[in-house]
Amino acid sequence: MVDRPLNDAELVERAKRGDLRAWETVVREYQGLAFRTAYLLSGNAADAEEAVQDGFVKAYRALGRFRRGAPLRPWLLRIVSNEARNRRRSAGRREALALRVAVADRPGDAVPSPEAALLAGEWHETLLAAVNALSEEHRLAIACRYFLELSEEETAAALGVRRGTVKSRLARALARLREELEEVAE
Amino acid sequence: MSELEQRLHQLGRQLEHPPEPDVAAAVLVRLERRPFPWRTAVAIAGAVLAAAVIAAFAVPQARTTILRWFHLRGVTVERVETLPPALERSQAPGLGRALSRAEAERTVGFRLVLPALAGEPHSVYVLDDALASVILRAEGRPILLSEFRATSFDLLKKAAATKTVVEPTSVNGDPGLWLEGAPHTLTYLDRSGAFRQRTVLVRGNVLVWVHGPLTLRLEGRLTKAQALEIARSLG
Repeated sequence: MVDRPLNDAELVERAKRGDLRAWETVVREYQGLAFRTAYLLSGNAADAEEAVQDGFVKAYRALGRFRRGAPLRPWLLRIVSNEARNRRRSAGRREALALRVAVADRPGDAVPSPEAALLAGEWHETLLAAVNALSEEHRLAIACRYFLELSEEETAAALGVRRGTVKSRLARALARLREELEEVAE
Repeated sequence: MSELEQRLHQLGRQLEHPPEPDVAAAVLVRLERRPFPWRTAVAIAGAVLAAAVIAAFAVPQARTTILRWFHLRGVTVERVETLPPALERSQAPGLGRALSRAEAERTVGFRLVLPALAGEPHSVYVLDDALASVILRAEGRPILLSEFRATSFDLLKKAAATKTVVEPTSVNGDPGLWLEGAPHTLTYLDRSGAFRQRTVLVRGNVLVWVHGPLTLRLEGRLTKAQALEIARSLG
């Protein structure tokens, strides 16, 4: 038997045959990314958790429609993101999720010099403020692509738009950020 | 990659995220609890909904206990020859909304009773503001513990096929029922008592028992001895 962990395609084939242990492995592998994506889209941790749970249940039941050989990550992200958007819509929440820099020091990190910390902190805050000031669709494109480190294809799946749309939103958002940061620097 | 893009990546790693929940057990419970499609259930089901003839009624001293269950403690077990058709997949209810323990307790209006060993649950699922459920792990499998305050109306209704073992039992002296074997259906009623029937098939074994003002329900692939042991450990 194989010693290496099963890859996505093998896990999906097993899950299609009703192997729930294989599906559990898939859930454990992708639930963190799915949650961060759902949190970004729903703006609320409880909704995000529900979206992830429902998403993985629905995805399992929809495995019959999953194309053999297709990448699993964008397919899962599309399903979970739909759930997250629906929750936000049905809750009637319109306010955007404000992204924040974590303040807690990570234990074990080298203590930076006060100047370095100040500079780094200021830089982050300036950039984050500029991102938060973007339009919703630009901000989400930036957050998916750079903060969650999704590929363009995955960003398109998470946002429910075409890949070309992601490209153009990213280009416009980056240009807008550059303008904004230059203004600050001047 | 441009400098701006690199900075964005760096910034992303510094951002605040809420703690990531582990939903694997919840997903598995939901997928395991309905192992075959409703058509199979309908095929098993014939025509007649025979009236309540609980096997336990043959045991005289159990009769009063069961009658209390019927009328006072919010659970009915009906012995039927054929199961009612369970709802299709898409309509099968989930466990409800995921809330923190404090939010869940506020919503349902009572404090949850949980086994000391299992630790603090990550989420408590609340259905219809009345039924609170947590997923625990025992004997290497996910198990589902649901709690509600029994009222004069039946909140849970179970229909058990004739093959299903239904027997009275007790947990720390409080009355309980053990359902084992063939699948049975579970019907939820909403808090107002309106008969919102949402039937799901349950395949795992189930222990239902009374605990103070609450009625508790444990579902999972457990033996009776395992289920009773968990039930007795609840604080």
